[in-house]
Amino acid sequence: MRINPIVYGVLVLTVFFGIIMGFQAAGFWSISGKVDTSGEAMQPSATDVNTIKGWMTLEQIVTTYNVPLADLLKQFELPSDTKSTTAIKDLESDLFSVTNLRTWLKSRTQPAGVLQTTSTTPVPTQTVVSTPDSSKVVTPVPTGHVAPAKTITGKTTFQELLDWGVSKDVVQKVIGTDLPAPAVVIKDFVTGNGLEFTTIKTQLQVEVDKTK
Amino acid sequence: MTTQAKLIQGKSGGVKPRLHGLKALLTHQTFRRIVQTAVAVFITFLAIQHVIIGENGPVVSASAEAFCPLGGLETLYKFITAGGSFVSHTHLSNVVLVVAVLAVALLLRSAFCGWICPLGFLQDLVSNFSGVLQKRIPGLRRGISSLKKRGARLAVLDRYLRYMKYLVLAWAVGGSAYFGYMVFRDFDPWSALLNIAEFSFTPGIVVLVITLVASFFIERPWCRYACPLGAASGILGKVSPIYLKREESACTSCKICTNACPMGLEIHKATTITSVDCNSCLECVGACPRNGALEVKFGLPLIGK
Repeated sequence: MRINPIVYGVLVLTVFFGIIMGFQAAGFWSISGKVDTSGEAMQPSATDVNTIKGWMTLEQIVTTYNVPLADLLKQFELPSDTKSTTAIKDLESDLFSVTNLRTWLKSRTQPAGVLQTTSTTPVPTQTVVSTPDSSKVVTPVPTGHVAPAKTITGKTTFQELLDWGVSKDVVQKVIGTDLPAPAVVIKDFVTGNGLEFTTIKTQLQVEVDKTK
Repeated sequence: MTTQAKLIQGKSGGVKPRLHGLKALLTHQTFRRIVQTAVAVFITFLAIQHVIIGENGPVVSASAEAFCPLGGLETLYKFITAGGSFVSHTHLSNVVLVVAVLAVALLLRSAFCGWICPLGFLQDLVSNFSGVLQKRIPGLRRGISSLKKRGARLAVLDRYLRYMKYLVLAWAVGGSAYFGYMVFRDFDPWSALLNIAEFSFTPGIVVLVITLVASFFIERPWCRYACPLGAASGILGKVSPIYLKREESACTSCKICTNACPMGLEIHKATTITSVDCNSCLECVGACPRNGALEVKFGLPLIGK
């Protein structure tokens, strides 16, 4: 049976876009990890600090966990004029990270005296203070020797780690497997292997700090 | 001669009537270009919007990568085996798109490549620009023509190079499944183009430049030799009920169809065109000067009858 080329083109578009629109109509569609399948923006859960992601803004944190913005900024020594629409990952430093923020927020929701850091690895840049009359339970202490240029972020590659002086063996020990191609972004590799990026990042940052 | 030509117009094997004015524009080739342009404009809009709004804006601006079906192919294994999770940089939209691309391949051959793919369109644009320049600059035309004649001696190499895309497919899909991240992303020219505003130098930028420069001399070099999505689509398209039929009794073997094929297929030698490399652009059908000599047919898969 002969098919007119224009009809063929119409069929192609109908099948292609028809399938896409069908999935969309069924709610099986999402263009970002920041929205759910219904298109609603993903929000952190007030009962689970692990739902906090680096792309979330300070405003989302402040609203969800009922924390005054000024307190948060002061706690992590962030500039007081920091906009609430800024993403967490854009403010990352040796003092402020998703892990540190989670730890601090968790400590605020727990009774004083039973506090523990959620991290299973030693984090030398943090000191846990468990005093009953203190609202600031986790007090990050600046190390003063980490240059901003040597701070691991979501875009740092393994090559940069090696360039900063962290040995291949140390990196492999932290990630628990062989070093992938050096050009690979650490975050991509870690999340791809089902690991928590912030945990690995903290461990690697410790190793970076040691090289100074 | 003109009277003779008029007499045989409309009959099988007769000369197709020459179209004038608006009718000359109302062809499937124009339709295809409109579709390709619209898709390319949409993707460009997404990419620019994502750069302008960034990730901290009041609304979620989708990365243009969220609309890449190859991303869906790379994340498909994890999506199926890990309960609906994705490798980095991919979303549900990528999975839906690859399903749509593969469904089109299954029903209508690799029409996505010929009618929709913006990277294919970009190569078409460079090749068309090259064609325009060659018409205006005789020296360039002679030079490229000479290069093509020399290149024709490497037909065997061309045949084997076309298998490279299956290796790329295995690397991209297998690597993502094994390592859990998109191993091909840094080498992907399309990803490099979409993220060009980040000014990060990746091997993908080199591949992109090579592809665009090569498009000046041969049509669709990326599609011919390296595209993993085209490879997957071509394989599935083999079982499609759609095929191209060359009617030997009506064909004069003028080679116009072969010259028009952007994938470099020898249409004038085949009777049933079911090549995995055919991207169903139907340029050959549009270029054929004879009625009924080359047509799109619907028939039995694989057999082409």
